[in-house]
Amino acid sequence: MKSLEKKPLLTVTVLILSYLLLNACGGVPEETATNGKDEENVFSVAEVLEMVSKENDVTRTLYTKAIVGKGKLQGMKFDEDWRKDDVEAGPLPALFLRGVATSIQKGPVPLGLYLGSDFPINNANKFEGKQAELFEEIKATQEPKFFYDESQELHTAMFADLASAQACVTCHNEHPQTAKADWKLGDVMGATTWQYPKDSLTYKGTIEVLNAYAKGTVDIYMAYLDEIEAFKNSEKPIIGTKWPAEGNYLPTPEVFLDSVRKISSHETMKALVAGK
Amino acid sequence: MFKVNPLRKRQFWGALIGILIGGGLFSFLSLDSSEQYVSLGPMNSGHDGLSCVSCHADANGNLSQQLQSNLEHTLGMRKNSVDFGTKDVTAQNCLGCHDRPNDRHPTYRFSEPRFKQATQTINTTTCITCHAEHTDKRVTINPVDYCMNCHQDLEVEDDPVDVTHMALVAQEQWSTCIQCHDFHGNHTYTVPEKLQDTIPLKTIQVYLDGGEDPFGTNKKYRGLSEPEWIKTLQKK
Repeated sequence: MKSLEKKPLLTVTVLILSYLLLNACGGVPEETATNGKDEENVFSVAEVLEMVSKENDVTRTLYTKAIVGKGKLQGMKFDEDWRKDDVEAGPLPALFLRGVATSIQKGPVPLGLYLGSDFPINNANKFEGKQAELFEEIKATQEPKFFYDESQELHTAMFADLASAQACVTCHNEHPQTAKADWKLGDVMGATTWQYPKDSLTYKGTIEVLNAYAKGTVDIYMAYLDEIEAFKNSEKPIIGTKWPAEGNYLPTPEVFLDSVRKISSHETMKALVAGK
Repeated sequence: MFKVNPLRKRQFWGALIGILIGGGLFSFLSLDSSEQYVSLGPMNSGHDGLSCVSCHADANGNLSQQLQSNLEHTLGMRKNSVDFGTKDVTAQNCLGCHDRPNDRHPTYRFSEPRFKQATQTINTTTCITCHAEHTDKRVTINPVDYCMNCHQDLEVEDDPVDVTHMALVAQEQWSTCIQCHDFHGNHTYTVPEKLQDTIPLKTIQVYLDGGEDPFGTNKKYRGLSEPEWIKTLQKK
């Protein structure tokens, strides 16, 4: 140290050279998540989660009524163990949603989606803590609830999940594991919980969230069609443009998604245009 | 050209030998064939053939860039720090090979707020809580009573088991769960209805330690091998 003190010029030169050498390559570029750096955030996270939740309502209602409800009348089977090799069936609506959630989780959009209730078929899906408190309010008002989950640093929204089809009511009331057997049409049977890390999103980020949900729908529906392909003992429905209401048919994923978009596009488009 | 002060000769040779040994070691340990010497320990069951890079991917940028970025972060000139050397290993790395649509307990499900209390006791949002790597085992959590964190209120209608699930929960016989049910639910097998027919805990422990699979070999999905995993990356 003594020698360095005697040579201040050398010390400064070494420091400058070290700094230059260290900076010669430039740093690692900062990551900008999914949103463009210069793009303006135009939607609050609550608005985006409301949009995607509405798409979910339409998708689930369509699946429950037009596929499960009508499909059962054609002899199609739907089962909680639909993935098992010895079960030749499709996913029940709750598991359809679980499939969408799993697909979203695998993608790059940091969106979380869960389904719970105070009387779930599977006790592991019973709300606890903050969710249980908010669900009591949701049941009374059917209004969504928003909160910030500090432990996970995630913006969280809960939306009522209604008994929108007779199939929901019948299946839940008759299920051997049911904790409640007097469900009626229109009851708040549970709630979907959605999570996202940022408080606001750009237009592009919003579209990515909506697309992630749509992709999830297609993924799980295709998984169902793959299961059908492997059926050995059951009659396979014809996959095409027709729906179970017309006979032993199922729509292709494209036809299914087109129908979802036809029903939901007006609402979603209104919200998107309003934010621009 | 380069004169060494006679009084500094010992330091000079010491430094030179140090640099040579350090450089030699660095070069040797950087070789693919030397991975076993760098590894923290033997790989877990089923991971024997994996190379380091399948989990420990190179971090973004070169070493100089990483140094600069982290220095800037320390001085408050940059928002985020960066990985140094290799990227952090996360559950996403594991799911690259082990993601299955029939997973009964996928890690992401436990991110939901209702599992907050349970995950404070056992962090099921990440794989390494139960499957710490470099241990030469299959499952590293012990004892196998983890089901108690979520299934205290378990009731099974028309319970087919001779000692009911409710009775087992009441008696806190949590180790009996795994004697019938594998946690991730990937095995296809017939679950016994008599407690005496369940898989003995000792056999289960051998399996968890990396031994033979008592649930059988009939699995719907299998983890990807390294070449299969590489193919999935090439498709992206």
